[in-house]
Amino acid sequence: MSHNHGDTIPLHPSSAQSDMDEIESLIHAAPSSATVLPARPPSPPRASIPISSSPAPAPVPSKPPLPAASIPISVSPVPPASASVSVPIGADGFGPPPNTLTEPVWDTVKRDLARIVSNLKLVVFPNPYREDPGKALRDWDLWGPFFFIVFLGLTLSWSASVKKSEVFAVAFAVLAAGAIVLTLNVLLLGGHIIFFQSLSLLGYCLFPLDVGALVCMLKNNVVLKIVVVTITLAWSSWAAYPFMSAAVNPRRKALALYPVFLMYISVGFLIIAID
Amino acid sequence: MKLLQAVSENYANPITCFFHVLFKAAALAFYILFSLFVKSFVIIFVITVLLAALDFWVVKNVSGRILVGLRWWNEIDDEGNSVWKFECLDGESLARMNKKDSWLFWWTLYLTAAAWIVLGIFSLIRLEADYLLVVGVCLSLSIANIVGFTKCNKDAKKNIQAFAQNALASRVTSSLQSAFGVI
Repeated sequence: MSHNHGDTIPLHPSSAQSDMDEIESLIHAAPSSATVLPARPPSPPRASIPISSSPAPAPVPSKPPLPAASIPISVSPVPPASASVSVPIGADGFGPPPNTLTEPVWDTVKRDLARIVSNLKLVVFPNPYREDPGKALRDWDLWGPFFFIVFLGLTLSWSASVKKSEVFAVAFAVLAAGAIVLTLNVLLLGGHIIFFQSLSLLGYCLFPLDVGALVCMLKNNVVLKIVVVTITLAWSSWAAYPFMSAAVNPRRKALALYPVFLMYISVGFLIIAID
Repeated sequence: MKLLQAVSENYANPITCFFHVLFKAAALAFYILFSLFVKSFVIIFVITVLLAALDFWVVKNVSGRILVGLRWWNEIDDEGNSVWKFECLDGESLARMNKKDSWLFWWTLYLTAAAWIVLGIFSLIRLEADYLLVVGVCLSLSIANIVGFTKCNKDAKKNIQAFAQNALASRVTSSLQSAFGVI
């Protein structure tokens, strides 16, 4: 149990209380601490954490554990005086939930990077045994989409021999506005999708087109371009399909998917037509 | 050297404050200087938006935590609903936060948003849609942070009140019980 993070601010104020008083105040504080503590509900297997982890007003949220990065953190700050109360927390096997308020900066960076990589793998490399597509992008982030859109714009702009700035601006605006409009489309069709989750998803599905644009930038042969773009276009659409179709009513599936396909086709044309 | 010493005595976390201001100032400065002297829109766009995004991340994840003890994020729960979570240090730690740090934090946040609005008005006047795009992105990032932290702050104040009430109630209860225990 480490309070040895250099910048840990001790969160538990009760060092003056005896244990008995402490437990009493915990019992009396419990009903409201469920609201005081914005404990972060973890993904399903660890659903017990938020309820049992409100020993004190000190927020002790849990983050979904990433393979290596957060296990050391998750062993860390549990307030010292409540050691007797922390037993139920530890019972889920992942250890006391990590305290993200006082974690070192490097841990935050690692966590976010790992999230980007895992989102990429989930979305872009289609897994036929995927259980529930809707759950897959639970931990959405917008860094991946940001990089992919900018990269696509840069690649297109680099390939263009004239009007580079306009190409970039058009590519960026079309992709960003297109993602927003597509999300609205799904919402208006009565689908159940979170705005940012959908933006994140559509952004990640641009990765194959990025690869295609890079290849086309390097080799300027029209036939090769058409072949590459067709393949990457199919890959992008295939990657986006499970999520979009899971979000809407089955009868409206085509209505939701066709604009996505249209947007990727137009980007594909942009890639082919640039010279 | 003396100035630096004076500065680091007043701010509890001078390095964090520095980074908090660094990316904002860099984005604004880069945008203003390069759009005056360099005509390549692509470079301006990419670097300004990159700096603004880095600033967003730093404020949200690092300086928010360290300077004011607040954090906000969005989660999607099991039913697929979007939930905004706010997190704060408890009352004692919050009270221990350096006043100068939080003053710097909030004021730079507001000033940056105001600066981007002014720049947006300039590019509107000059009818440059491209640059409006840059300003739009940077402005929305700043506003997102402001809204997130303001909500988090309100939440934190509510929680502190609730905690104080409960602490009071529990002490009253425990002293009553120990009084009755004596009888």
